[in-house]
This record gives sequence, structure tokens and C-alpha cells, in this order.
Amino acid sequence: MGSPATSPTSSTDVVAAVQRARASKTPLQPVGGGTSLHFGLQSAATVEQLSLAQLNRVVDYPARDMTITVEAGITMAQLAETLVKEHQRLPVDVPQADRATIGGVIATNWNGHRRYGQGSLRDFVIGIEAVDGNGLLFHGGGRVVKNVAGYDFCKLLCGSFGTLGIITQVTLKVRPLPERSAWLACSVNDAKKAETMLAALQQSAVTPAAVELVSGSVWQKEAALAETNLTKDNFGLLVLLEGTTTEVLWMKDHLRREWREAGIVNPLMQDGCAEPWPAVQEFSAHIDSPLTVQASVTPSGVLPFVAACRKRDPDCSVLAHAGNGAVFVRFAKFPDKGLSELMMGDLQPAAAAHHGHVVILNAPPGAAITHRSVWGGEAPLAVMTAVKKKFDPLDLLNRGRFVYI
Amino acid sequence: MQSIPSPSASTLTRLADALRRAIGAENVLTARSDLMVYECDGFVIEKNSPDVVVFPRSTADVVKIVKLCNEMQVPFVPRGAGTSLAGGCLPIGGGVMIVLMRLNRIVEINYRDRYAVVEPGVVNVHLTNALKGSGYHYAPDPSSQGACTIGGNVATNSGGPHTLKYGVTVNHVLGVEMVMADGAVVQLGGPAEDPLGLDLVGAFVGSEGTLGVVTKVWVRLTRNPQGWRTMLAIFESCDDATQAISEIIGAGIVPAALEMMDQGILVAIEAAFSFGFPLDAQAILLIEVDGLDAGLDQQRDQIVELCKKSKAREVRLAKDEKERLKLWKCRKQAFGAIGRLSPSYCTQDGVVPRTQLPLIQRKITEISAKYDIKIVNVFHAGDGNIHPILLFDERDAAQVERVLHASNEILEACLDCGGSVTGEHGIGVEKIHFMQKMFSPDDLVAMDNLRQAFNPVGNLSPMKMLPTAGGCGMEQKHPGRRAAL
Repeated sequence: MGSPATSPTSSTDVVAAVQRARASKTPLQPVGGGTSLHFGLQSAATVEQLSLAQLNRVVDYPARDMTITVEAGITMAQLAETLVKEHQRLPVDVPQADRATIGGVIATNWNGHRRYGQGSLRDFVIGIEAVDGNGLLFHGGGRVVKNVAGYDFCKLLCGSFGTLGIITQVTLKVRPLPERSAWLACSVNDAKKAETMLAALQQSAVTPAAVELVSGSVWQKEAALAETNLTKDNFGLLVLLEGTTTEVLWMKDHLRREWREAGIVNPLMQDGCAEPWPAVQEFSAHIDSPLTVQASVTPSGVLPFVAACRKRDPDCSVLAHAGNGAVFVRFAKFPDKGLSELMMGDLQPAAAAHHGHVVILNAPPGAAITHRSVWGGEAPLAVMTAVKKKFDPLDLLNRGRFVYI
Repeated sequence: MQSIPSPSASTLTRLADALRRAIGAENVLTARSDLMVYECDGFVIEKNSPDVVVFPRSTADVVKIVKLCNEMQVPFVPRGAGTSLAGGCLPIGGGVMIVLMRLNRIVEINYRDRYAVVEPGVVNVHLTNALKGSGYHYAPDPSSQGACTIGGNVATNSGGPHTLKYGVTVNHVLGVEMVMADGAVVQLGGPAEDPLGLDLVGAFVGSEGTLGVVTKVWVRLTRNPQGWRTMLAIFESCDDATQAISEIIGAGIVPAALEMMDQGILVAIEAAFSFGFPLDAQAILLIEVDGLDAGLDQQRDQIVELCKKSKAREVRLAKDEKERLKLWKCRKQAFGAIGRLSPSYCTQDGVVPRTQLPLIQRKITEISAKYDIKIVNVFHAGDGNIHPILLFDERDAAQVERVLHASNEILEACLDCGGSVTGEHGIGVEKIHFMQKMFSPDDLVAMDNLRQAFNPVGNLSPMKMLPTAGGCGMEQKHPGRRAAL
């Protein structure tokens, strides 16, 4: 870890910090809530941390426009608290919401389970301000929900790991809170049946907000799911329904009928709450697992990818945003032959077979880890590197952590 | 941004010969009469013929074309159907125009993984037709969807009446294959979400042909809604109508579409099509909600109540699909009716925060009076995207000048309201002088940096979107006469 953090209170301070870094050629690591510092490769020891924690104000909240402008260091919990007063929300679910900041969530492109019904984080960022590695304070987008003026820096910076610019302020599109929500859950005996049910959900008249597939020992211990008869080898299917009361009641009845026809007689139901199982939201944040990875594959690739993980570690636990193809896997043990062999020999090919890739979210300190094993998927790295060189020619921002070659 | 020297006649002759050998003579146009077809897109003010027009039939053809252009230092610009409205396809300085209309196959449709792969020349509505009966659709539906191409939609990040609920093109593009400015073929994204590394797909969509030539697109498919409820609310004043919009959105309802038309345009529509609109009404709202049948009546009733609270004189409900299509017809044919009002018209494409709609509406009325130019309004009001239509006679030079001033003032008023100078048509060459008003010099440097990372020599689509270091782009001498939105 680097030297003690400096903590700017304005974007001008951030510009000054980058200019100092340029003068001393000291790399900077922007830090929000510090919840994703283990994600990707680790920063070099000489890095200076730049905390965005004090940039945490609500700049403007015209609730009737359904947009909000905030500084990057505001936590997701603070943001949710502000929005709920106007009966609104940003439907992006992240672990450790009391620490995770909106800037960090955007920098790591974190998306939760509701992306299936509500869209992903990148769809909600409509304006952005950042300081690049040249010390340039720049903006993209604006404060209106429809805007095609100039290049879309909101998208470019979303998931850029702070390597093109340190995000200082964002404008977000927000949504009304739904009137009602309910979860339906059931267990499914095998992968074939699970795939049939997932495919059927896509054809159903029901429009879920989330479609989650869970499996493994972590979920067996989850008291709230006990009634679904989850075993070591089967799968749990969790569906979140949101909307007006009329809509949710109709969807519940309809889905139960569809599931009954598929042989699911008594699904577990939790009505009136959107977050019944903290495990769904917090699953990927458990850094006590010896290894956690995230795969992005096509929806039909979820179960084959899970099978590949189980083959290597039958005791691994899985949470998949199955409608979107995002799969999180917590391994029960560290791979005997090391990370590179697991990632390059097995998991990357398994994901690539379904148009995807795998990234290491968390590995034990000191584990032998390489650029290829963390960021080994197929990507136009030369173009990305060309962009990086323009925005940060001295390679000061989050040096060495991201995909660049 | 670097300027590109004009190629010599001999260079162009050598290049045309090389192109004929590379992709077949039948795919290369050089006759003056043929080239004139390609001298502009829907932005007809500025015109310039390309020197050569080529029609690639494969990605490999595009690579050959781009490499030959680079070898001979000739600029090149991609083009789809030419329906764009800001001059994004204008071949400034001539050069080669790469028309992608013959790359028009639907390569794959995958319902399980909810995507389709199309070539850039696929006409938007052709994909819609191919998906009919499947229960899925491709959501972006620009009003020009009968002619515009998916590749062009990607270049301009097109919207449409259903943007309010479903988002613009970038929300529905999973990946693109493109030929870079140096001829390298690169795939950004693909069938799966969250591609590794930077979101270059997000940066590419809406880049107006300045970052690469798109040769394949992975688009997301969306489930069809189970049902619709469509209604028409009639108001005594524009303020009441804009208030109703604010009430509906403020109540947490996100309609699929929320369109506003004022009295000026209503009169023209009524004269042309006799829909039975009251001619003394100052504004109407066309409102559509979609989704689960179970919830739609409740939403419809709530909207009717909110409209009445905002002093709607009457709310008409479409009783069936036939009536629904009739209501949409009146909106979609609005522009066809304008010919009854004046010989020429110029449509603007500003955006304001929704709550500023009453303010911008009043501002437009003031500007109309100040310049003595009649302005009628059609708004994608739900997302704050305004389309004031300035009516004039292009044979009258004084009127033309007043229209230009009025247009600029409207767009500046949008910026003053915290808005943007384009909601869906892009900067192109038309609004290049506004970039310095909307963005700081540092913002523009950052944009130029991105362009240079993709397009370092500047041979691809030169002089577009970003103002050059020395000036504000071209001087505009004439307002546009626009196609339907």
C-alpha cells in the first residue's frame, strides 16, 4: 500500500494533486471507500493514495427532473438516503454500500442484480467531471437525460478504473421507487433444468427486475433460503418482481403458475421487500474467501461456466445475475497449481467459449498473480493503451492495475 | 485536430483505379453526375461532392479502401443512408466516401441471449420486420427508421419517440466491429455484456464517424410489452401542457412516449389530415404507457387525472389498436404537414431539463416575436428534447438571416437552462460552433485526445464535431430545410 492519503475537498485540489504527481513522477491511486482495492492487480508500493472521501456533497438535486449531481466521494448509502426522501432511487446494488462511493462504483463499473430489469450503471451516468493524467479538468455529457453533444466520456470513464481520469463529480439519471416488490425463489435439481427455467423466464410475460442463480455451500447456510431445499449440488433460482401492486400481484400469480407447470410446487415467497437476502448484495465482497472471480458471459453461458468452476472446486459457491451473464464465484480453496494455471488453463477458455472473460476480484495477499491471469480475456488492448497514453502519458493514474499492455 | 490537404487530380485518378482493382469497378463511382447524389446528407445547407464513392461489400473491402486512402493521403468519410441531419456525412474537402448500404445482412439473431448481429447498412425497420412475431424488438426507433441504417444510428446515437423509457442507441449496442483509421480491424464488445477493459463501445457510439468505420454491430433485443395505452390530452395553454408533463414524471410514471405539439403545428396537421383536433387548443400531449396489461389501466387513469389537474380540456383515449395508430400517425406526419405553413422550415434539436420546458417554451415565443419568425413546436417532451420549427421563405435573404439568429438564440437559451444543443442529431458540421459554448477548452482537448488515439493522422472524417484550433468551424449562411424527425 502507498503513502498516507491526501484528501482534496474540491476538483481544483485534485488538479493540484495531479500536477504535483506530474512534477514528482509519483503515481496516484484514487480511492473512494476502499472497497475495491483488491480488484485487479495491486498498485506499486510507491503510489500515493488520493482519497475522494471529502468530495462528498450533493451538488444539485432537481428531483422532478429525476437527475442528481453529486461529488464522487458520496457513499452509495448516503446517495440512496437522499433519493429516498423524494421517493426515488439509483437502481444499482453494490456490496458495502455504506463505504462504497459513487465514483468508485463508476470507476469499477459495478452492477448489481437489478441490472436485468433496470439497466446497468453506465445507462444512469449522464454527466461526468474528471481530472486526467495531464492535470486537465474535463467534462462529458451534461445534466439532461438526452444529449449527444461530443464524445461520451460518461461511458468511457465507466469501468476505466480511474486510469484515464480521477472522477470528481457525476450527474445521474434516477428512477422512481416501485410501489411494491417481491422475491420468488425455488430450488432446481440440475443444471439442465435450471437452464430450461432461465430460458423460459426470458419468454415469460413476467418482467423480473432480477434473475439470480445461486449454488454452493454459502447458500445452504442462508437461513432465509432454507425452505427451498437447496443442497450441495442443486441450484437456487431467485426472481425479483417490482412495479405497482397490481403488476407485482399479477406477476406473482403468473410466475407461480408457470413454475407449477415446470414441477415447482411451493416456491418460497418474500413479499414487500426488495432486499430480503443481504447475501445476494454482499456475496462478492467477502474477502475471506481464498479466491473470488467474476465472469461475464452470455446468459446461456452461465451454467456451462459454473460447471467449469465446479469441476475445479466442487465446493465453490456461485451467484449469477443470470439474465445478464454476470457470474461471481467464491472458491472454497486456493487452486493447488496456482492462479495462472486455473485462470488461463481453465476459466478463461470456459468463459471465452461463451463470448466472455474472467477477472480476479480478490486473491490472497502475496499470491503469484500476473497481468495475463487477471486481465487475460480477449480485448483490443492496443487501442485501449493508445487511449491511456493520450489521457495519462506519464502513466500516473492507478499504474499497473488495469488492462493496458 | 489536423487539417488534411486536398488531394491532387492525379492522385485521385490513381486512387480510383486502385479502388476499382481492389473491390471491383461496379463498386466505385467517379462520374460527376453520380457523385452529386452524395454531396450532402439531410443537412442540405453545406454541400460538397466526394471525389470518389465506394460501396464495400465486406469488412475486407473496407480495409482495402482505408489502406489505399492512407497510402495516397486522401481523406475518407463513412455514410449510411444519408438521413442524418447535422452534416455528419458531409465530405469536407472531398476525398472518398465509403457508403455502407451494401453491407446489409442480418448475420445472426439469438433469442436466448437476446442479441442480433447486423451489418451497418441494415435499415432499422428491416431488423424490426425480421423480429416480427418473435416477441422481441430492437428498441431504438428514430422516426426515419424506414430509411436510416443501424450503422448510422450507431454513429449518431439515434433516439426516437420511445427514448424516454427505452433509452437511445448506446443503451442497446453490445458491440461493434470496426475498421480503424489505419485499416486495422478491431472488435469492441460482442454478445456478452461488460467486455474486458475500457468501454470503447460506449465511446464509439455517437462518435459521428470520427473514430472508425463500423462494419458489424451486436444489438440487444428487447421483449415486446404486453400491451399499450395511448391517449391524447388537449390543453388551453402550453404552460398547462408542460405542467402536466412535470406532474406525470413527478408522480413516478415513466411513459413509453410523451410527445407535445403546439397550436401552430396542430393547425397544419388538421388542415392536412382532418383528425378532428380542436383548432383553438394551444397544445396537445400524445402519451403512451406500455408494459404489463395488469398495470396499464391504473397508469392510464392516473395520467388522465394528472392531466385534468393541470387543466386539460379533454383527454381522448385510444380504444383499440386502430385508434392508437391514428394518434401516432398525427404525430409522425406532423412534419409532412408543414409544407402548408411555409415554403421552407428549419428544425432545431435542443434539450432542456424537463422542469425547464415552460421556461424554454416562453423563451421561444419571445424569440419568435423578436425576429418576426413564426415558430411552431413539436417536442419529445418527456425527455426535454425540443424541436422548434422555424418557418420562413428561403427566397427572402432578410428572413434567412433572422432564422439563423433565432436558431442560435434558441440553442443558447437551452444552454442557459442547463441543457444541450443536440438531443439526437449530433454536432456534425452544423453545430460545430456551439461546441466551444457547451464545453470548456480543456473538455475539447480531452475530446481531441480521444479522437487522436483512434484516428491520429486525421484522415477519417476530418473537420467534424470538434472545432479546429484556429476557428469555430464553418460560417453558417443558411438555415436547413429538414426532413421528418
